[in-house]
Amino acid sequence: MRVSEIDVINPNSVTECLEILANNNGDYRLIAGGTDAVVRMKDGKWRPTVWINIKDMDSLNFIHLVEDEIHIGPLTTHSELIKSPILRERADLIVEAARQVGATQIQNMGTIGGNMGTASPAGDLIPPLFVLNARIELSSLSGKRIIPIEEFFIGPGKTVMLPNEMITNLIITPQKKNEIGIFEKLGPRKAQAISIVNVACSLQMDQNRKCIGGKIAFGSVAPTVIRAKKCEAMLTLADLDENMIENIGEVAWKEVMPISDIRASAIYRRDMAKALLKRGLFRLMKRWEKA
Amino acid sequence: MKHGEFKYIGKRVPRVDGPERTTGQLKYMTDLQFPNMVWGKVLRAKYPHAKIISIDTTEAEALEGVVAVLTYKDIPGFNGFGIVDPDQPVLCDDVVRTTSDAVALVAAETEEIAEEALSLIKVEYKELEVVSDPEYAMTESAPKLHPSGNTYSHVKIKNGDVEKAFSEADFIIENTFISPRQMHAFIETEGGWAMVEKDGLLTIYCPGQYAYRDRLQVARALALNPDRIRIVSSPLGGAFGGKDEITVQIYLALLAIHTNGRPVKLHLKREESVQAGIKRHPFKVEVKTAVKNDGTIIGHKVRAVADTGAYASLGGAVIALAIEHACGPYKIPNIDIEGFCVYTNNGVSGAFRGFGVNQVCVGIETHLDMISEKLKMCPIELRKTLAYREGEVSSLGHLVKSSVGTYQTLEAAETCDLWKNRDKYKSQESEPWKKRGIGIATSFHGVGMGIGVPDYGAATIELLPDGRFLVGVGCEEIGGGNGTVYALIAAECLRSDLSNIAVIQGDTSKTIDGGTVTASRSTYSGGRAVATAAPFMIKLLTETAAEMLEVPLEKVTLADNRIDIADHSISSVSYQEIYQYLNSKNWSTKVQGHFYLPKEKDEIKGSGGAPHHIYGYMSHVVLVEVDTLTGETEVLRVVAIPDCGRVMNLQGLEGQTEGGAIMGIGYTLYEDVIIEKGVHRTKNLTDYIIPTIQETPVIETIPVENPEPSGPFGAKGIGEVVMIPIIPAITNAIYDAVGVRIKHLPATPERVHQALKDKKLKAVRVRR
Repeated sequence: MRVSEIDVINPNSVTECLEILANNNGDYRLIAGGTDAVVRMKDGKWRPTVWINIKDMDSLNFIHLVEDEIHIGPLTTHSELIKSPILRERADLIVEAARQVGATQIQNMGTIGGNMGTASPAGDLIPPLFVLNARIELSSLSGKRIIPIEEFFIGPGKTVMLPNEMITNLIITPQKKNEIGIFEKLGPRKAQAISIVNVACSLQMDQNRKCIGGKIAFGSVAPTVIRAKKCEAMLTLADLDENMIENIGEVAWKEVMPISDIRASAIYRRDMAKALLKRGLFRLMKRWEKA
Repeated sequence: MKHGEFKYIGKRVPRVDGPERTTGQLKYMTDLQFPNMVWGKVLRAKYPHAKIISIDTTEAEALEGVVAVLTYKDIPGFNGFGIVDPDQPVLCDDVVRTTSDAVALVAAETEEIAEEALSLIKVEYKELEVVSDPEYAMTESAPKLHPSGNTYSHVKIKNGDVEKAFSEADFIIENTFISPRQMHAFIETEGGWAMVEKDGLLTIYCPGQYAYRDRLQVARALALNPDRIRIVSSPLGGAFGGKDEITVQIYLALLAIHTNGRPVKLHLKREESVQAGIKRHPFKVEVKTAVKNDGTIIGHKVRAVADTGAYASLGGAVIALAIEHACGPYKIPNIDIEGFCVYTNNGVSGAFRGFGVNQVCVGIETHLDMISEKLKMCPIELRKTLAYREGEVSSLGHLVKSSVGTYQTLEAAETCDLWKNRDKYKSQESEPWKKRGIGIATSFHGVGMGIGVPDYGAATIELLPDGRFLVGVGCEEIGGGNGTVYALIAAECLRSDLSNIAVIQGDTSKTIDGGTVTASRSTYSGGRAVATAAPFMIKLLTETAAEMLEVPLEKVTLADNRIDIADHSISSVSYQEIYQYLNSKNWSTKVQGHFYLPKEKDEIKGSGGAPHHIYGYMSHVVLVEVDTLTGETEVLRVVAIPDCGRVMNLQGLEGQTEGGAIMGIGYTLYEDVIIEKGVHRTKNLTDYIIPTIQETPVIETIPVENPEPSGPFGAKGIGEVVMIPIIPAITNAIYDAVGVRIKHLPATPERVHQALKDKKLKAVRVRR
């Protein structure tokens, strides 16, 4: 298939799009911002017969506060995430992560739904979504199903989404007054870099440095983003002083199963899981004390 | 002359080509498209080392839309190129020695069809043993990649008695340094277009660094009279040495003679540029220094091995320049320096800003840092004592007669804010686990070609119908701003406004041969040629005016933008009038200026071209912050102190010092094209990390001016040295911050982190 021979169709509604998906043999593909899809097309990896262009489908571009949940449309771009007052106030670690994706051009084009669909173990938006208890709404002609994010990814580039489905909503639990979060990323440089390791933490605090619960998720250290449950269990054991942070960091080493690639060795990634978690918790405590 | 006497020289002059470059109005040659154009593509070798059994192009030729498929059989002339030794086949016939090699060419109606045609060319290979380690390549057991063997060149410089120095030393420092395979990463990848004109002239529009030499290489491959080839080589979207050698000119020429007069375009995608383009030579440098307890350095020994990849290109010259600079701008009485340029199957290495000096300066400058630490001496004082001055004998044993500004750069370093207040700046760490350090280093770089290579500058100045001047210089505008320098030198010499000067560069039909834009030479040689041509233009203007008004020549004087006539009813003549007069008589309005670069009389035997007559000198002071948790290094501040003779354009100089600093930061901290067993693991800019604006520190430029009498208004070259001392200055600063010496560059977070781990482990062992 030559690139010039690929057709593009622009469905006008989600239903129309789902009908197209239901009637194709798997050689049609969704395209939104195209920041991954176009690269793969040029590399010859993705050459569908038809691109289903949903980029302009405004009904899937939203950020709403719905009761105790935030609903994020899959076509929301990284730039829109960064600018959202709702997210800034109630889920700032998504904003932090979106800021560290690529550079402005990528942020203007790339969407949160695309980031989920690409399912990169290094995807920067995914760890924050893990710790914010995200659920993914998948739609098909036969209805909707909601998948918790921890069950959504099954390997690098692989998700439970079926060929006739598309993401129509992302639901997260916003942070309460006593909850604080941070996203830490280590890349080969500050901008335009794929993560060597990234981590997101969300903590519920009592007064002072007493933590009463929290979630930690690592990226780029396993085939999918993972929760660090051993570390999480330690969060509530004692005050999060420097000593305790040090100890939690040491355990991170045991949570991860990284590989070696051109960006970093597995050993370095293990060490960095530890380093980033420590750095993140230090910074978080500093911020908490100031607040 | 003092600064005040100049209208433009030394001032902050905006680039004459600035607005069109920044607005995107300027069309680069690879931007151009034509309605009847065909697309060219190159089939690269599948393996890094293999025998070609057969090449079958039948299927590719049969594909609809394919215009031509060419192999080695279609080369009318000599199947090879290479600036010094043409050992690289244009299209391989029997063996491929790197995945950079070209095996076939395709021209087709669209780029897509051309790409598809490439996949239809069937090449049968028999794989051969891959030689990837230069040390192994030099052994008897390694397969020979070229008939002459794998050691392309071996150069050495000896002075005094280094063994005696080592036996008399109070202590000896010995280390091995490994340097990265840096990529030029210019924004415009290799490409261009060509066509055979109606009259049979072959025109090639292709960015390059020496159109006249490119033309000779094309002529040799095509067996064509060079006069029947026109090459337009300017402007460029960056080069840095990566377009010094032939890039795609010969492919374009071969395709153009098979497309029936249709223009053919070829433009490498970034992936192909990474794989096929020339890179900086990775070096292994073993360094040993003999020191007395009073800080006197009595001996320095260096063995440098350069991986030139599958072909020589300028590898021989790179290693020669490396050994010439391996002792720094100092006077060490006993030295023994040798260098090897070695063939492997690792791509092709060649010219790159700094030309071998980047790799070797790390050795001497790290050792000086270690010596000053051990003896508790100020590193600047140590260098000041060691630096040779004008009229002194260098480590190489030659008397340096041209301008030397090392000492002044060190004095400026000593008094700059960053150095004076270093304790204050170092104590301002942004977070508790971050440590700050400050480093200094000094280096130098030869200007021009050295001994054994022709080196001349040439320029033309033409009076135009509208009374403006057109300055023509062969040296291309590769982005450094030499065109602006030519314009302001002409404006200064001709007492003309800068806006009345137009510049043309890099076109064999319009500019005369004035040598390369490499070797930090184009401001110096081109500028001097313009300054040499200017008096001829003044002579033409004044004599013509005198003739027009029938007055004696002594009544005629050059004034600002006109010729003044004394004691005459007509008090001045405009340049338009002079043009009209000359034109009415069919007289030429163009003058030329030529300049031969001064050279040393005698070559140091076996050195491959040392010494140079002129060097540019430079010191860098750098502030870094190292994250001890992750190993990340951030360069926070750079003080760049160049000695470039007289500053021509302060804004242009800052452009160079800033660009050079950022490229030096990239070299030291991020950049490396990783090749394993001859195969590129680095494939694109996603995994080749260059600094962005976020990695760009505050860069301050403090020029010290030590005018070079042979240069235009006292200028010398600066294009390369601006990225050199910053490399060891950064590694010295990392040491100052966290106490580890990174000897394998780039100093990636992982390498720094590993070094910190090793240091911790060692400390624990020592305590036990």
